[in-house]
Order: sequence, then structure tokens, then C-alpha cells
Amino acid sequence: MKILKMPKDNLDLFVSVLPAFGQVYAPVRRGSGYAFAPPARWSEVCMDYTRTHLPPKKFVLPPREPTFRFDPGQGFQDLLAEASTPTVLFGVHAYDIYGLNILDRVFAQGPYKDPYYIARRQSTAVIGADFRPDELHFALSMNADFVDSGFDLFLSDLGDDYLVLVGTSRGDDIVLLSGCLMEEPSVADIAEYKRRSNLRRAGYRNRVKLEDLPEILEMEYHSRVWNEMGDRCLSCGSCSTVCPTCYCFDVSDEVELGSRAGQRVRSWDSCLFKTHALVAGGENFRAARSSRIKFRFYHKQRGFVAEYGRPSCVGCGRCIEVCPAEINIATVIDSIRGERDGSASSSSASA
Amino acid sequence: MSEQKTVLIIDDDRDFVAAIETLLTHYGYRVATAADGRAGLQEAKRLLPDLILLDIIMSERTEGFFVLQEIRRTAALSNTPVIVVSSIYSDQPIFRISPEAGWLPANLFLPKPVEPARLLEEARRLTGGGGSQATVAGGER
Repeated sequence: MKILKMPKDNLDLFVSVLPAFGQVYAPVRRGSGYAFAPPARWSEVCMDYTRTHLPPKKFVLPPREPTFRFDPGQGFQDLLAEASTPTVLFGVHAYDIYGLNILDRVFAQGPYKDPYYIARRQSTAVIGADFRPDELHFALSMNADFVDSGFDLFLSDLGDDYLVLVGTSRGDDIVLLSGCLMEEPSVADIAEYKRRSNLRRAGYRNRVKLEDLPEILEMEYHSRVWNEMGDRCLSCGSCSTVCPTCYCFDVSDEVELGSRAGQRVRSWDSCLFKTHALVAGGENFRAARSSRIKFRFYHKQRGFVAEYGRPSCVGCGRCIEVCPAEINIATVIDSIRGERDGSASSSSASA
Repeated sequence: MSEQKTVLIIDDDRDFVAAIETLLTHYGYRVATAADGRAGLQEAKRLLPDLILLDIIMSERTEGFFVLQEIRRTAALSNTPVIVVSSIYSDQPIFRISPEAGWLPANLFLPKPVEPARLLEEARRLTGGGGSQATVAGGER
């Protein structure tokens, strides 16, 4: 992997030439938080942001995505070209890149490859940036505080400079264009990188114990914790909306009025919604809120492990931040483990 | 006489703006001005000019680059000709990335100080005819 260094003073000039590789989105202020959006000027870009409202998932799996048009006279016309718009995501944190890598496993590397996802992912250059964890991040616990793939370039803070890791040939192309703004790192720079990496890891205050969690979840399937969570959960779906790796979607055909033409649209869904497991005939496999929130935890922390070898949670902390019922994934896991006062698990009636 | 064309100058250098406004007005263009990127974008969206002359180093040294990206994102302006007129290469010697390397979504880059005859020639070319006397300017060269 090629490693370079770029003075922080050059960063605005560097971002100015990125349109060569697509429409640039960077972390900017939105309300009380942040969002990936086109910056109107360099001073809008927040390199010290905590987390964005929505993860980069929105670029590769849009909240609402027309996939093809149908018309009795013209047949089917796929909309893949729209999914191939060149895009540059600048300043993506490691856990969000890890989230993209997890989506890759589902949509690009699994048995059912999704051409729309693949087109968007391939059209999206990712320039990562490191961050200082706040009280909600637990990416270290989820082994998602560091990534070695899934990005084109990755910027690590060295104080007055960034260490620049080149991850792909597209990243190399970006360096070829903007190379005059970069230089070779010194031995001291590498030492400073390692020192800061250790400091960042030590800075995590929110930690979750993952050891044996799939087995413990297996044993605690009937824990009363799920009923307690079901009593609190509002089924709003906010947690899955902001999750970098929640990928459930719905598909609907939108027919134009007075015509038999229209388009097929897929849009984000949530396993917290009451209709998620509703089937023809009115049966609902997860009618109770407790069963739906349990399903979400089991899919993330157990089912995904069985399927892909690791949990799909990346420890970004978004679901903790947005939950109106203050359900905290870290404390739920502690409760299941029986390590939180008053919440020790016990087998009781199933949800 | 060709239709009068509108040129929007986005630049924080008041002397430069006054000089170019005088020049363009003399050659038959209608001229509007804005002293920073934000005001420039507002004017561009309101006037839908035939040509934009855009500075880069304004309140921020890359302000014009970001304004240019917003211009290209705006459907009504995405095809509006833009000439970047800037001293960024002489002002920022470290920035040695050619404007012709495919990253600058402008029609043309002209370094400051700009030659009036060249500017008039390019304005006429990019507006498809230009101001009422612009052809005279071409003939005077």
C-alpha cells in the first residue's frame, strides 16, 4: 500500500480537484448534527465531525430508488445509468467504510448480486478520515475502528499533516492528479501515526463485550429483556434508518394515472415496522414489538455472524443517538449478559 | 445588431470588477456583479446570465472552485459558460495542477491580469455573438 503525507493547509486545494472523479460530498453541519452533502465552500466541511445523521449507505442504497420503467409500448427500461453517476465521498470514518464493506458482502459478493448496488459502489470514490471517538462510538469493540480496504484514500491526522493511505488504483489516480500537494512521509511521521492510533483506541469510552455473544444470545432467546425492550420500543424504525448496515428494502410498482406505464421502486424498510413480517392472509410472524426488536438484535449480532463470520454492527453509535425511547445497544447487550443491575437475564415466557 | 448578452462577474476585487464592467459595457454587454461566491450564486440563479466570469480567491482561497461546482449542480446553470479569471497559480505556487487536467468544470481559465482583447474574444465566442460592438473589438486586434 502506497503511503504519502499531505499538509493540512493543502486540504482545501486537494478537495477542489476531486470533481474530476465525481460529485463531491463531505461532512457539513445539518441542524444539530452533520450530513454528507456538497459543500458550498471549504469552511463548511467539518473534519472533526462525530457522525453524520445518515451513513454513506444512502449513496449506494438510496432511501428511494427507481430501478426500471415499464411501458406496454416500450417494454422494460432499466435505470442502471442513473446508478452510475460518479461520486466522491470525502471524510468517511472507518466504521462507515466497514459498513460499506459489510453491504458489499450482501449485495456484491453474495449469491444474489445486485447490479444497482454494484454500479453505485463502483461509481463511488471513498476518501476516509480518522476521528476522535465520543461517548457513543463503540467501533473498537466491533473491530470496525480501522479498515484496510473499501476506501480509495484514507487520511489519518498527524497534527499539521495527514498521512495518506492509497487503497485502490482510483486512489492512485487521485494522487497522480493532486500529487503536487503531497510528499513522502518520514520515519517520524510513521511513529506519530502509531502514537495517535494508540491514543485513539484508548479514547473509546463506550465498550461492548462481544466474546461468546452469539452463544449467549442463543441461550437467552426467551430472556425477559426482550419483553422489557418491546415495552419501550416505539417501532419507529429510526435505528434501522440510521444504521450503516441495515439493508431491508421494500419493492413497489408505481403506475402512472391513466396509463399502464410506470416504474418499479425499492425503498428502505425496517424490521421494526409492524408490517415487516405481515404476509398474505393477514398473518404476522412478528406482530409483537418485543419480537421485532429481538429479531433486529439477533440478525445483527447472531444471524449475521453465522452467515458472514462477524456481526453486522460497526459501533457507530447512531442508533443510540436517535432512539426516542433511549434504547442503547451497548446496555441491552450488557443486560443480556446479566452484567447490568436489575436486568439479569432469566428464562421466562417467550415474547 | 445581435441580442444583448448578460455577463455576471463574481469577484471581490472592486477595481478589477469596475474595469471589466466598463470594458464589457462599452462593447454592448449587460453586466451584473457580485462581490462574493454566495451573492454570485444568488445572482446567477436569478439572472440566468449568458456568461459568468468567476474569481477563485475571494473570502476563502478556494471559494470560486466550490461556487463553480454549485453552478454545475444547478440545472438552470449547468450549461452556462463560465470563464475562471484568477491569479491562483501565481498566488499559490504549490498548486501546480493544470486547469486543463479535467477537474475544473469551467469552459476556460484565464490568468490575471487578463488581456482585454482576449477576454472580449472569448466572451463573444462563448455567448454566441456577444454585445453589439463585440465584433468591432475582435476586428481591432
